[in-house]
Amino acid sequence: MRWFRISIFAVLFLGIVIGLSTFANAQEKVALRFSDWHLTESPWDKTLADAMALFEKRYPNIKIELEPVSYKDKEPKYTVELAAGKGPDIFHVHAFSLPMFFDKGFAMDLTPFIEKEGGAKYLEAWYPLCMNMMKHKGKVCAMPGDYMSMVLVYNTELFKAAGLDPKKLKTWEEFLEYNIKLTKAPERWGIALPGAKDPGFELRFSPFLWSFGGDYLTPDHKKSVLDSKEAKEAFKFFVELYTKHKVMPPGVTSMNPQDVRTQLAHRKIAWEIGSGWTAPIVNAINPELKAFDVLDAVPLPVKKNKVTTIWLSSWVMSPNTKHPKEAWELMKFITSKEMELNWFVKNRVTSSRKDVSDVAPEILNDKFASVIASQLPYGKVVPQIPQWPEIVDAFTTAVQEAMTEMKPPEKALADAHHRINGILARKK
Amino acid sequence: MKLLKIKDRHMWTLFVLPGTILLVLVLGFPAFQSILYSIYPEGGGTSYTLNNYSILFSDSVFRQVFGNTVLFVILSVASHLLLGLGVALVLNREIFAKPVFRLIALLPWVVPDVVVGIIWRWMFDPVYGAFNDLLLRIGLISTHVQWLSSPKLALLSVIFVNLWRGFPFVMLILLAGLQSIPRVLYEAAAIDGASRWQLFARITLPSLKKMLVVALALDIVWEVRRFGLIQTMTQGGPGNITEVLSTYIYKQYFQFFRFEYASAVAVIMTAALLMVSLPYIWMISQEE
Repeated sequence: MRWFRISIFAVLFLGIVIGLSTFANAQEKVALRFSDWHLTESPWDKTLADAMALFEKRYPNIKIELEPVSYKDKEPKYTVELAAGKGPDIFHVHAFSLPMFFDKGFAMDLTPFIEKEGGAKYLEAWYPLCMNMMKHKGKVCAMPGDYMSMVLVYNTELFKAAGLDPKKLKTWEEFLEYNIKLTKAPERWGIALPGAKDPGFELRFSPFLWSFGGDYLTPDHKKSVLDSKEAKEAFKFFVELYTKHKVMPPGVTSMNPQDVRTQLAHRKIAWEIGSGWTAPIVNAINPELKAFDVLDAVPLPVKKNKVTTIWLSSWVMSPNTKHPKEAWELMKFITSKEMELNWFVKNRVTSSRKDVSDVAPEILNDKFASVIASQLPYGKVVPQIPQWPEIVDAFTTAVQEAMTEMKPPEKALADAHHRINGILARKK
Repeated sequence: MKLLKIKDRHMWTLFVLPGTILLVLVLGFPAFQSILYSIYPEGGGTSYTLNNYSILFSDSVFRQVFGNTVLFVILSVASHLLLGLGVALVLNREIFAKPVFRLIALLPWVVPDVVVGIIWRWMFDPVYGAFNDLLLRIGLISTHVQWLSSPKLALLSVIFVNLWRGFPFVMLILLAGLQSIPRVLYEAAAIDGASRWQLFARITLPSLKKMLVVALALDIVWEVRRFGLIQTMTQGGPGNITEVLSTYIYKQYFQFFRFEYASAVAVIMTAALLMVSLPYIWMISQEE
């Protein structure tokens, strides 16, 4: 009898434990790993943290784990993790990296989710150019984020003091003249362009090349065209800003975009090639400058072509995610009209959504955003091929070799041309 | 009783087994994978080829990187040995506040590579850097020196930082060696009228021979693998002037996704390391 009572008690106890644990499991939150290089940058870090808190409030069953990563290390980190079957559920990369991720199968096909949202009608909200860059073999494998053009961001006070009006700037020759007048070495230089091996380099150098009528590759991406007269002219013009005219501060070949912004924030340079993110970051580096008041923006000068580089970021869902449904909810949230406007209001980045960038009064009336938006029709993107990181590394090496006078510009460019042809010829 | 003895004799295998399994898993398996990757065709495939090795040896950038690595390692290790020995000799003497100086001498070695790289990158900044500011103030230079951007100075600047960062390791080994030399040897030689140089050349150096081989071998291995410092200071630039094997492998693997080619470079690097480690391995086996 005693054993019978004990058995009954044990069964009841076990039942309660199983029941409670099942209830607890049902209540357990789904954890999503969210990674973005902006989490390491002020003021973006706070904006993102606030947005994720809002998402968690709206989706009480989902918990967001923030994973900061530096801008430069994001691709290595994600590829290693994804190759190991792990990785963040949602992560942010610039669109130029997408071909590499697509090539390795490191991006979830979002087409089934988009179909459920209305398919083509749902995607109408975005600029077609941006959506096209998210596609791989006809499938949508990422969603577009920030969409901006590169412009000249200048310090109005320094230009006023030099008696120059950047709004009258038309040609690259005038650009050089302006820089010569602005340079008061060793106290101040006209411009700094990041020459380090950093993804920010191509964004700033490419307008020189394209505007002079040159390009990196043939339209079919099979050969380098850096041996063209126009490419040589653009390369020489860029290098001589540093070597001959000395309008850039010493050490630009080891500067990354943040180093350049630091120079702008401390009035060491008068302008730089930047975009919507420039003023908030400069403001965070040196609030005393009052960047939002003191800085302003103008389009880039023109040689043969009116052209600038397009910056486009993208959101990718990991193919390894265990919670695709919840990850899609997060993807929808961060690319929503509400959040895209929020990113602009808080961080001044314009959106790849037409229903935000084309209509929001906050954007249309902003002194930076209006210039950036006006240049989008002249925007061009660097080649979207998996070999691009290696090609741009070979090219940056040539720029550094020419700027530090290790090689004459013609020789450095010719070497890069041959190396790039070698990269393209290699069987992939 | 006999059975128990046999068991006891083999008991050590049980104790060694977990460590061995762990080593095989964390070192052996990735090493095997790297060798396997290095003989796969680039871009993937199941056939085997030595093509990655032939590409590697015909690549002018690889040859430059290999040369940079040799130069970086020779200069780094030589300077570590000289400074490490010098500081060890000083710290082995009866000086004021010896423990404090020993602690200070160790500090650069405690700081992670990446932190050292970032700090020195700022110190070497031509416009804002403390280094130029100091030299300008005392009149040693008259213009901004581009420590990390000049092709003539970049590698030397990195080696200089590496000297500061790495000498404590050698110093520590040699200091341990110095402390084990019996004082009576010096006293007897002094009575026989030996000069300071003779004491150093005939007693100190021969007594430190084993320690020097240990320090040399271990430091070579460390310096060939040095990554964080160079990556944070120059990223291999300007051009490829400061690119070494470790940063080159990283770039090929993680930035260009050339897994097979990067594995071939890693295999070559490992083979080179094994060759320079042979005297050390031989010495250890002789002792045993």
